Amino acid sequence: MTGARERLAAQQSALLHALLAGGPAPAGFDEAALRVEADALLAKRRRVVATITPETAQACGAEFAALFAEYARANPRRAGSRAREDAAAFTAFIAARERRWWRRR
Amino acid sequence: MGGMGELGIGIGWRSEIDLTVERLPGVDFVEVVAENLHRDHLPDSIAVLRERGTPVLPHAVSLSLGGADPVDMDRVEHLAAVARLTDAPLVSDHVCFVRAGGLDSGHLMPVPRTREALDVLVANVLAAQSVLEVPLALENIAALLSWPDAELTEARFLTELTERTGCGLLIDVANMWANARNLGEDPEALLDGLPLERLAYVHVAGGVVRDGVYHDTHAHPVPQEVLDLLGLLCDRVSPPGVLLERDDHYPSDSALAAELEAIRAVVRR
Repeated sequence: MTGARERLAAQQSALLHALLAGGPAPAGFDEAALRVEADALLAKRRRVVATITPETAQACGAEFAALFAEYARANPRRAGSRAREDAAAFTAFIAARERRWWRRR
Repeated sequence: MGGMGELGIGIGWRSEIDLTVERLPGVDFVEVVAENLHRDHLPDSIAVLRERGTPVLPHAVSLSLGGADPVDMDRVEHLAAVARLTDAPLVSDHVCFVRAGGLDSGHLMPVPRTREALDVLVANVLAAQSVLEVPLALENIAALLSWPDAELTEARFLTELTERTGCGLLIDVANMWANARNLGEDPEALLDGLPLERLAYVHVAGGVVRDGVYHDTHAHPVPQEVLDLLGLLCDRVSPPGVLLERDDHYPSDSALAAELEAIRAVVRR
C-alpha cells in the first residue's frame, strides 16, 4: 500500500500543480480538458472569494477576474488553508498592488 | 407515496434559503454540508426541522477519500459529531480527492480508475468507517477531464468499492449527465452496471452549457435531460430518496417548489 500511495500521490500532485500552479501538463491528459478544468477551478475559487469579500471584488471593478487570475496563479491554495484566509490574502494582494501603483506615479 | 422510499423528496439546506426550506411544501428530508456546521450546536433552522422530525443528512465535501494521503481523521471526527448532533441515519462524501502535493483544488477531482487507486480509496473509506457511527454513502462526481489509462469502468470501480467497504451509493444523476455530455460516458451502461441495491439516495441539480461544456453549477434550473436520467434510474430501482441541490442564484420559492414537484412526478410515475 505504501508504494500504491506514493505513486498515486505523484500522479495527483502533478495534476493539481498543472491545474493550479502553472505546472507542466501531465502525460496522457487532453490539454483542452486541462484548460477547461483549470478555468473552472479558478472561477469557483473566484466566486468563493467574491462572496466572502464583495468589497474587494467591487473595488477591482471590471478588472476583478484578471486580477484574481494573476493572484491565484502566484498563490495556489495550500492544503489545509481556509477560504477566509484566501479572501484576506487576495485583499492584501490588491492593497499591495495599489501601493506600488501610487509609488510609481 | 407510490414508488417512493423512506426518505422521500428533499432539498439541500443552505443558510441563504433557510426560511424557504422551512416553509416549502413537500420537503421530506434535507441535507447539510457537514463542513458548514459547528460540531456542538445546530443553526436554529436545522433545529426547527429536527423538532418536526425531518431527517437531516450530513454531506461532507472535504474528506478527500480518493486522495493518496491517509484520511485526515479530524475531518472524519467532525462529520461523526455532526451526524450525532443531527441524529442522522447516514452520512456521505464523494469518490474524489481535493488535496494533493500540498495544494487544495477547491473542488471535487476525479480519481484515476486504476486498481491501485481503488486499493487506496478502499483503505481510506475503511478508516473513515471505523470512526463513523452510521452508514457512509459515496457519490459519483462530475468530471471535466479523464485520467489516462483507466483499468476499470466507472460502474466496475464503484461496484468493487461498495463490495469491499460495504458503503452505500449516493447517485447523482446530474453528474452522470455531465459526464455523458462532456466525456462521452454512457449513463445507461453505468446505471446497468451499478449495484442499485446499495442505493442510499439520489442527487438532482441544475447546470449550464458554456463554450460547449456542461457545467454542473447547482445555480441553474434542472435540465429536462437530468430528469429523464432520473426516470431511467427509477425504471430500474425505487430510490429511497431524491434530493435537489441548489447552491447559488436562488430562484423564487415557487420556482424551487416547482422543481421539487417535477422530481416527485418523475419518481411517482
